[in-house]
Amino acid sequence: MEADWITIGVVGLYFILMLGIGAWASKKIKNTEDYLVAGRQLGFWVFILLMIGTVCSGMSLLGVSGLGYKAGWPTIWEQIFVPLSIGVCIIFFGVKLHNVAKTSGYVTVQDYLAHRYESPTALRTLAAVAGIIVSLIYLVGQYTAISMVLMWLFGIPLWLALVIATLVTMAYTAIGGLYAVAWASLVQSITLIIGVLVMAPLIIWYAGGFTHVNEFIATINPNLVMPWNPVGAFAPPYVVSFALLLGLGLACAPHVINNVLAVKDVKYFKWSPLIAFLIYGVVIFLLKFAGFAGLVMVKEGVFTLPAVSNAQDFVILYGIQYAMPILAIWAIFAVIVLAAVMSTTDRLMLTIGAMFSWDIYKKVLKPDADDKSVLLLSKIVVVISALGTMVIAINPPEMLAILIWMGIGTMLATFSVPLLAGLYWRGATRQGALASMTLGLSAALLFGFLNYFKVKALGMDFAAIPLHFSVYAFVISLLAMIIVSLLTKKTTDKVLDETQTGWYISKQ
Amino acid sequence: MLGLPDITIIAVGGIVVVIIALLLYWGLTFRGHD
Repeated sequence: MEADWITIGVVGLYFILMLGIGAWASKKIKNTEDYLVAGRQLGFWVFILLMIGTVCSGMSLLGVSGLGYKAGWPTIWEQIFVPLSIGVCIIFFGVKLHNVAKTSGYVTVQDYLAHRYESPTALRTLAAVAGIIVSLIYLVGQYTAISMVLMWLFGIPLWLALVIATLVTMAYTAIGGLYAVAWASLVQSITLIIGVLVMAPLIIWYAGGFTHVNEFIATINPNLVMPWNPVGAFAPPYVVSFALLLGLGLACAPHVINNVLAVKDVKYFKWSPLIAFLIYGVVIFLLKFAGFAGLVMVKEGVFTLPAVSNAQDFVILYGIQYAMPILAIWAIFAVIVLAAVMSTTDRLMLTIGAMFSWDIYKKVLKPDADDKSVLLLSKIVVVISALGTMVIAINPPEMLAILIWMGIGTMLATFSVPLLAGLYWRGATRQGALASMTLGLSAALLFGFLNYFKVKALGMDFAAIPLHFSVYAFVISLLAMIIVSLLTKKTTDKVLDETQTGWYISKQ
Repeated sequence: MLGLPDITIIAVGGIVVVIIALLLYWGLTFRGHD
């Protein structure tokens, strides 16, 4: 496509709006706590839409449809477990963390881990470094999605698309912190929800309607309309591991879980899991169905996908282009995709900034650092992480969804066990948490590498393992926590009581 | 129905209904304080 003035105008207006939100938010920033947790003042809808915006990433629009195009209904579980991850995060992590954070003043989830496991240096540093690594992996996937949209819309080279998207997101995040990210997410999520509700049904209608789409893809391959594949990826064991990966892995990701620390009132946790599941569930189901419709359109010769390695991820862009041949609509849809991607990207940048400036610099390297220098460092790290990952993203991975799942899988294997054991098991110890996190992270990176590059070693074909690779790393992390904790000295009762550790979610 | 086999509707629909019921239960029983 070639750029035109309507498109440039619509996308330009969106970028100006985001920068405006950043400028407005920057006036509310008085200290690091304002910057990183929005002064703990997030209201009900801002919180829900921030959670949706954080979880709804580039994969949600491009990757979800791309995977639907490629593998059909057996991948539908993604549309159930990703929206559910918001509820899992709120119910199993959020309620307790928020309650404890009120008295302990946590700014990041690493604050909780350092407190709960009485490890102000070692575990905090490890958790921050692990968090930065997994957030960077995830961030690269997000950039790829942004650049795809800008390339498609403007026909500009990848490097230029990346530079434009990075600079805008980086600018409003760096100046406005979580206030800017949260309010930008509010606008982005509303744009996304309305846009998908209007446009996805139009693509499905254009392809002949929901029933026709299902009947047609069944003629291509009957497995495309089954709830799972008979063997291999998306066979029942894989689907179960997928539930763990998405439902729990995303719920404990630092950029998602840190949002619960910024909520104004714990009462918001009452209905937010159901509301978020329903809103986001409808949106993400429609996106998957649009991917199925795209497959029908390609097979019926309506359009052909570009000759690139990740062609399937372009399916919804081409679907909208052919279902609604109106230039202004494409521009609006591009804004919707950009909104989805940027709402995750900005939160990731800020999380990386927080983990470095707060957890590593302020809490470990220089405890006497004043608030002004911590705030400045947060902004500098946001800029560095944005530019660094932009360079990595210039060579886009083969399939967007795989890279993003690799990031989520690493989060699952690294954070879920230390957090769950910390919140619910009084026997979990500092050494247990260190072993669990170290082994979980190492195993996830190793298994992810072996799986991605289809390595055959130790008599195993890592490309054909029955469960998602991260689940093996999760089991290693779990075993390390149990075995090492049973062999080492327990955390003091004082800290266990302060952190409300025990087999309950909310004390009655 | 809808061009889908019954097993797909039962499996996917069943899980969605169970999840909604559980989240509804959470909302009805959560007291909002510790």
